[in-house]
Amino acid sequence: MADEIIQFTRRDFLKASGATLAALGLAGLGFNTASAAAPETGRLTYDKIVPTLCEMCVWRCGVRAKVKDGRVVKLEGNPFHPHSKGRLCARGQSGIMTAYDPDRIRFPLIRVGARGEGKFRRASWDEALDYTARRMLEIKEKYGPEAMIFSATHNLSQPVFENLLYAFGSPNYGTQRSLCFNAMVVANLLTYGIEEPGRNYNQVKYIILTGRNLLEAISTSETSDLVEAIAHGAHVVVLDPRFTKTASKAEWLPIKPGTDLAFHLALLNVIVSEGLYHREFIERNTVGFDELQAEVVKYTPEWAASITGIPAETIRRIARDFAAAAPHAMAHPGWRTSNFVNSFQTERAIAILNALIGNWEQPGGLVNGGGEGGGITLGKPPQPPYPRIRAQRLDGVPWKYPLVPLKLGVFQEIRDAILSGQPYQAHGWFIARQNPVLSLPERQKTIAALHQLDFIVTVSILPNDTEWYADVILPEASYLERYDPLLVLENRVFLRQPVIDPIGEGKSALWIYKQLGERLGLGEYFQYRDEVDYINQQLAPLGMDISALEHRGCWSPLLESPREVERSACFVPETLSFEPEAAVPQVREFKFNTPSGKIEIASETLRRAGQPAVPVWQAPPQPGPGEFYLLTGKVGQHTQFATQNNLWLHEVYPENELWIHPKPAAERGIVNGQKVRVISPVGEVVITAKVTEGIREDCVWMTQGFGHLSKGLKTAYGVGASDSDLHMTYTDPVSGGQALSQTFVRVEKDG
Amino acid sequence: MAQVKKYGFVIDPRRCIDCRACLVACRAENDVPLGATRIWVYDLGVQGTFPNVSQQFVPYNCMHCDDPPCVEVCPSQATYKREEDGIVVIDQQACIGCGLCLPACPYHARFIHPETGKADKCNACLQRVEQGESPACVATCIGGARLFGDLNDPHSEVSIALRNARRVTRLTAPGVDTGPNIYYINDEVDATKLAIHPPEMPAADTFYRRIVIPGVLAAAGLTFLGQAAAFARQLVKGESEYEE
Repeated sequence: MADEIIQFTRRDFLKASGATLAALGLAGLGFNTASAAAPETGRLTYDKIVPTLCEMCVWRCGVRAKVKDGRVVKLEGNPFHPHSKGRLCARGQSGIMTAYDPDRIRFPLIRVGARGEGKFRRASWDEALDYTARRMLEIKEKYGPEAMIFSATHNLSQPVFENLLYAFGSPNYGTQRSLCFNAMVVANLLTYGIEEPGRNYNQVKYIILTGRNLLEAISTSETSDLVEAIAHGAHVVVLDPRFTKTASKAEWLPIKPGTDLAFHLALLNVIVSEGLYHREFIERNTVGFDELQAEVVKYTPEWAASITGIPAETIRRIARDFAAAAPHAMAHPGWRTSNFVNSFQTERAIAILNALIGNWEQPGGLVNGGGEGGGITLGKPPQPPYPRIRAQRLDGVPWKYPLVPLKLGVFQEIRDAILSGQPYQAHGWFIARQNPVLSLPERQKTIAALHQLDFIVTVSILPNDTEWYADVILPEASYLERYDPLLVLENRVFLRQPVIDPIGEGKSALWIYKQLGERLGLGEYFQYRDEVDYINQQLAPLGMDISALEHRGCWSPLLESPREVERSACFVPETLSFEPEAAVPQVREFKFNTPSGKIEIASETLRRAGQPAVPVWQAPPQPGPGEFYLLTGKVGQHTQFATQNNLWLHEVYPENELWIHPKPAAERGIVNGQKVRVISPVGEVVITAKVTEGIREDCVWMTQGFGHLSKGLKTAYGVGASDSDLHMTYTDPVSGGQALSQTFVRVEKDG
Repeated sequence: MAQVKKYGFVIDPRRCIDCRACLVACRAENDVPLGATRIWVYDLGVQGTFPNVSQQFVPYNCMHCDDPPCVEVCPSQATYKREEDGIVVIDQQACIGCGLCLPACPYHARFIHPETGKADKCNACLQRVEQGESPACVATCIGGARLFGDLNDPHSEVSIALRNARRVTRLTAPGVDTGPNIYYINDEVDATKLAIHPPEMPAADTFYRRIVIPGVLAAAGLTFLGQAAAFARQLVKGESEYEE
């Protein structure tokens, strides 16, 4: 077995239930499950329920997993978790098929063919880890630790991953963040001193969503809250060039791409010039209002109308209604705000718009918190200090991007540094749960970069596209099969724990990084026996161990409450109320974690960095004649680049399409449902056209995550097209965000 | 009898975001094979002309009708309406897989299970309801669009929602009123868009082709012995065995 060569080959698409899949599985090739779903039609039964945490996206809902004969048969949203409140989305419900994906990697693999050929052989864990450690140490000795890049998409095992890279001594840490929310996070850090203000939907009356497609980019509890608010009559304004499902429940403004900034500057203009702002709140809690007042004078609704395509009267009405609904009004900070190089300014304008109406810590407004972390400080295993890092970061933080926090980084720059060899040449890449081949713009460049490296190791549950180019693939246990470090939400601690035994030889990140760390001579940084010991060391300051969490999946001081009703659960969901309180709470003085201690309408930090201290208009580039804006975004059934092979999700969303307006479609002879060719300056794809009135004439749209290259993904391989084939690389110099809507494409009938 | 339950669904399309969590939850809960489904979200598509457009999502499944034509056509009495709560179920042992119930259903809510060869459809997650839980689709509905409960109980969530609704629609088409027990509230739902059709009841020759001939073949050979035995038992005893 040890020398068997494993070649990924395409199998015909399977239309079969779990039971049939087990029969079809290619036993021994390493990518199929051992057994599959219960064959009986009819009544589901289960032996036990295990509480744990979802990992189908980054929202981390609470899950109650029903298990029968050692197999997970049904996942339910945990009613006592603030992110699920008893519900799971389509992805969360499909976690079973992520665990039982017939293409799972079942044991460690070492490449035997040429890079990218897809030929691997089975290895033992010892061999794979020894080999990985040897190659990493060779790179370290020859070129220094900085020649090894480490990247991972954020997850609960991130602290242990960071331990590995900092102990190894590399400054080169990549995350997904610059492809997603850098603009939003950097803007809020500079304005409010926090990464992301929370949203309180209680009593909310007015919501402005700028590209935040909450009903399709689902965060279960927040999506539920928004639907609840809409059902209770909250007015929602959606700025989006595309008629999203969120737009279908709201006032839709099909704004011209890249001009959200102009729209918000005009809202600021109206609120400032008509005196609709909250004077007392601004005086007590902000700095720089006067400078803003002077700057926004020129951004009249008439000015913005000519840029955005939204009538001046509409802008004026929205500004007035938004201010009138204060403090129960919010301009949502957004999430994936990597759209244009001016997105950072847009995010600053949104942050300031909220500040002007004084909705901070008010019902229906923005709040501090709601994110992860909070009132409980956990312990961690002892460890020596990290070695001092002398090398510059390849991603240009901070030497090229002084305002980007180290832990956000500028991921796309790492890829370009591999290719340019500047400021020095990287030689190895450790990639965990991440698929840069599909997530980074210009996939041709990413693949070229992978070919340039001496050594690539990935940690993954699936043979995804990046695994296809790896030297070593370390199989991770899926989230239903492993422990992870604990999740803290305010004063509650939540546990991810195994629901079923791992498929094949999959292991937890906690185990993998410790084993590798020891082989790298870094054992002192991994002072825990096993996963449970790590968690027990986390819980030690609370005077408890894992047994306190196993039964409910969580712990909270509430459990020790004198009131019995509270003792039953770590979290008691509140029903949102839309009856305004009789009196609006008085304006308080808050302390913000900014240099001035106030909300920084004008930022001295920005000024010192040579950037405008208050938001200013920055015109985005525009497509030429016959070109379209290429827009991308999420659908409710998939998470980024990781779920297209999930058989249940494939069933509810099998393939991506290119949305195009009927007029440009007719001009090009494009018919709904037929193939079209999309051509950008860096690549082209063929994809099925969806001709719809729900998009501007100057835009086309597709969801990401399709167009997989790995033949190891037998369901998703070759299905649909990838935007990474088309996207050009543009980086916002302030936030480091990749501008994902700034690529212009031509579209023609295929063949 | 006032105490007899009448289970039904109340659905608010305004709250449906077409996320399809209900479809996946149903598949998991009821082990529905790939390629088939017991539940749908009908997407009416983008209506109107840019930028004056609208879109509606209409979730549906078996309507557990008051007067279900599927029960009427079923030759083996495998499909029946439960007296105690009105849920329409299929006795899997008794079903002979003849498929007559498929066109009889005005809502296309039934299919032949590719592995068992028997008729299949929503049973309102009886296994959960009997334990006091909501059907899987209702429990996981992100927008709270789906409600389920006893329409005879004035204090139930469904009764309260119906009383408070701006508008209530049952999906019936001209000449088709089987007394469906999904009530759409608040939004107007256009029955003509859902391609509801009159129940197709079997003519005598259809009955002969689908039931008698396979029955004879099965009795002669061994291929369908199990089905034939079940069918014969039904004919003799005239009673149905409940699915277990």
